[in-house]
Amino acid sequence: MRLVVNGRPRDVTPGPVESLAETIRTRLHLTGTKVSCGRGECGSCTVLLDGRAVYSCLTITSACEGADVTTIEGLAGAGELHPMQRAFIDHDAVQCGFCTPGQIMAAVALLATTPVPDESEIRRGMSGNLCRCGTYPRIATAIRAVSSQAEAAHDG
Amino acid sequence: MTAEQQGRRFISTTVEVEGREETKVVEIPNRTLKPWGTDAKLDVVGKPVPRVDARDKVTGAAVYTSDRATPGMLHAVLVRSSIPRGLAKIDVAPALAMNGVIDAITFSDLHHSGKPIRAGGVHFLDPEVTYAGQPIACVCAETSGQARAAARAVRVEYEPLPFAATAERAVAADAPPVRLKGGNISRSSPDLSSRGDTDRGLAEADVVIRGRYTTQSALHSAMETHGAMAEWHGDQLTVYEGTQGIFAVRDEVAAALGISKARVRVVMEHMGGGFGAKNHAGAYTFAAAILARRTGRAVRCVLDRAGEQVDTGHRAPATIDVTLGAKRDGRLTAIVVEALVDQGISGWEASTAKIFHELYACPNVRTSETFAYTNTQAMRAFRGPGHTEGAFALERAMDELALELGMDPLALRLCNFADHDQEKSRPYSSNSLARCLEEGARRFGWEDRKARSDDAGRVARMTRNSASGITLPAGGGPQSRFRRGFGLAAQVWPAGGGPPAYATLRIHPDGSVDVLTGTQDLGTGARTILAQVAAEALGARLSDIRVILGDTERTPYTPNSWGSQTTPSVAPAVRMAAEEARCDLLEAASEILGIAVERLDVKNGMIVPCTGAAAVPIAEITRQLGDVTIMGHGSRGPNERGVGLMTFGAQFAEVEVDSWTGNVRVVRLTAVHDVGRVLNPLLARSQLEGGIIQGLGLALFEERVIDARLGLPLNAGLHDYKVPTMADVPEIDATCLDTVDTVANPVGARGLAEPPIIPTAPAIANAVADALGVAVNDLPLAPWRVLHAIQEQDGGWGMADGR
Repeated sequence: MRLVVNGRPRDVTPGPVESLAETIRTRLHLTGTKVSCGRGECGSCTVLLDGRAVYSCLTITSACEGADVTTIEGLAGAGELHPMQRAFIDHDAVQCGFCTPGQIMAAVALLATTPVPDESEIRRGMSGNLCRCGTYPRIATAIRAVSSQAEAAHDG
Repeated sequence: MTAEQQGRRFISTTVEVEGREETKVVEIPNRTLKPWGTDAKLDVVGKPVPRVDARDKVTGAAVYTSDRATPGMLHAVLVRSSIPRGLAKIDVAPALAMNGVIDAITFSDLHHSGKPIRAGGVHFLDPEVTYAGQPIACVCAETSGQARAAARAVRVEYEPLPFAATAERAVAADAPPVRLKGGNISRSSPDLSSRGDTDRGLAEADVVIRGRYTTQSALHSAMETHGAMAEWHGDQLTVYEGTQGIFAVRDEVAAALGISKARVRVVMEHMGGGFGAKNHAGAYTFAAAILARRTGRAVRCVLDRAGEQVDTGHRAPATIDVTLGAKRDGRLTAIVVEALVDQGISGWEASTAKIFHELYACPNVRTSETFAYTNTQAMRAFRGPGHTEGAFALERAMDELALELGMDPLALRLCNFADHDQEKSRPYSSNSLARCLEEGARRFGWEDRKARSDDAGRVARMTRNSASGITLPAGGGPQSRFRRGFGLAAQVWPAGGGPPAYATLRIHPDGSVDVLTGTQDLGTGARTILAQVAAEALGARLSDIRVILGDTERTPYTPNSWGSQTTPSVAPAVRMAAEEARCDLLEAASEILGIAVERLDVKNGMIVPCTGAAAVPIAEITRQLGDVTIMGHGSRGPNERGVGLMTFGAQFAEVEVDSWTGNVRVVRLTAVHDVGRVLNPLLARSQLEGGIIQGLGLALFEERVIDARLGLPLNAGLHDYKVPTMADVPEIDATCLDTVDTVANPVGARGLAEPPIIPTAPAIANAVADALGVAVNDLPLAPWRVLHAIQEQDGGWGMADGR
């Protein structure tokens, strides 16, 4: 079957109940996507599936024929970091970094649907992604920064 | 250094780690560093520079243990006991017959030439199990799916034995033996410690309060589960493991396998959090190493989430009885503490009582702690172990005392300020607790808190009739559904670090710099602050520094990253290595430039002559040197004798309690800590916030639940064991005082990792008590406990007032 992963067509032969997380990590060797609970409790494995944030540990690969998958490795374009990645660095929204790829994918998906989220929309949009180090205040700051940059650029 | 130490190469000194003191013989470095005092002009240290490894972490390039793979690598899965106590008869044949399964081991496959291997306080793969979730076998297969299926296929029959799942049961006269050998309480129990005469102190008291406070079993729940990947090259073993102590893991693996430490290399590049749970090799480490040796292939054993939650340690629950005596003016005359701690199957005795001896001035203190073993997973250090549990009891009791005295909780704490370490009759290197309290109160608006909440029109204040203990609404007004309250709590923690710790620095011909040191960055930012220290001391640009950590074969020794000691232990060693290299660099530059060395300086990557000649980049000097390499070596010198190296802090909480549902919402938290010099304020704030958010989880929801009848854990997942999410996090104002601790070490910084979790739960609990006029003295402050307290208080009108 074929997936489009980070803009490139990839042919894979997953097992019948193989998760997208497993396919991404073990068949495509994209280990930036992390698995922490394996059962949809933590959000570490969040990727974009046709632009929507999904838990890749609960997504069955064989049901994704032809889908467009974006992982953390596909977010930066030609050596240029995605604004959300840049904001996570600048605002120190990273401690151990294990949940970070999932947090960034969830944040990108949030702004794709809600370009100027208010506080409660940020909280609701991000509360499916756990961070045990407690970077939440910094993540919220990073999201607000990217949102207001985009808004300013749009207004300009 | 004292005169008697002068000229000696090695001296005996004490180092305090996680509240435990160790005596060590350590070397005195051959170079002394002039402490960076308050007047030191620093260009890189103290600046909010972003993490040096953040780019790797936000792009997915950072490699963690579960990302380590080599061609032909096998996947190993542990088989765990499903009963708390008994004998397991294990048959791995059905697993071995399955597709893709390569090998399986049980206890009988291990070569017990010497002592059995210990993992997590029990014998590795022991079929006589002492807690549910204990590993009893391990299988490995070509894929992780095959290995998981094989683990399920292992046939196990149990012969159950009686067990004790709670401390109360374990210490009862008729309790069954919890462990294979020894009694149900630790050999040091009861652990007694006292000063002065508490009987006299209580007799002298104008007011005495008594209370019982309980804290829960909490799970570290790091996002990256424990695990290891092991591969052999001939008789050389390499272990990749997300650990807080690469040298500890190396030593334990070498001992377990009966091989030389030189034959074991442990590597830790990045790890997904530790919080105290990853200080030692575990069953996964030994299983991976042994199966790799048996199969001749690399083996990775990474725990699944359920395994992580049942078998990687917990914060030991404690029941703490406190008696405080005080004069009418608030001065403490006596503190008496009796504590019972439920260790689980093993663990070290993290003192819940120590903070009662340290935090406040009191001439008479007596504490007694009993550490019981139970048939549950083992205690492991969890961020601020012992002090965090003790602080909950002490600071709740202090608020009870303040209420009884009719004193402001802040004033009570300030009037009991301890200006020296009473336990050891020594000064503190610095003690800014009073400043932390005052600065925190100012930032929080403690003085006018009541007025502000009254303005909000949401709170009717409660007062308590101290004679009867009956609680009445102030002014008799009706209670509103949502009630605001305010609380504070303070903290002390030993965080001075100490020797030994080493670092090496080398400058490449292109001017780029390697700093090599065997410490670990758990996500704390160690890599970044060490780069800053090296850049500062060498005079190099931060962007030219690469910090190489976590490799027992290729980086010099440093201790485990625990006890908030990485910064105070390792940063001075890095500074010394960089200063040694700087001296050599200037000598070389002097020769090349023909300018006397004392007329040269090095700053921000440039050699700057004070003759007015043009500055020359470091890279130009090293290019001319070619392969003649500038190197520096640094080591951590001993701590000053007779001085307490403690950090202090204070936190303030505002909460809103829903008296209909019992739900507690934390509105805002203010934290002010004193840790000496802050090496990077951006990272320091993150660490403060992280500790506070874990403290919030401890206060409100986190609790490992064991079915005492079955002895089985009931919430071994992140859905049922609830850690805070972004939606739970209030407004947090966290900051450090602007101080420098030149007594502690030449960098001026003490540790910051653990202190911020310690006062959060008591500050929140005090705020809840303030809101309700009735206290909840058991953690976590779950809705059912809060509702129960409200109902006890007044027959349930809080629930039934109809609004």
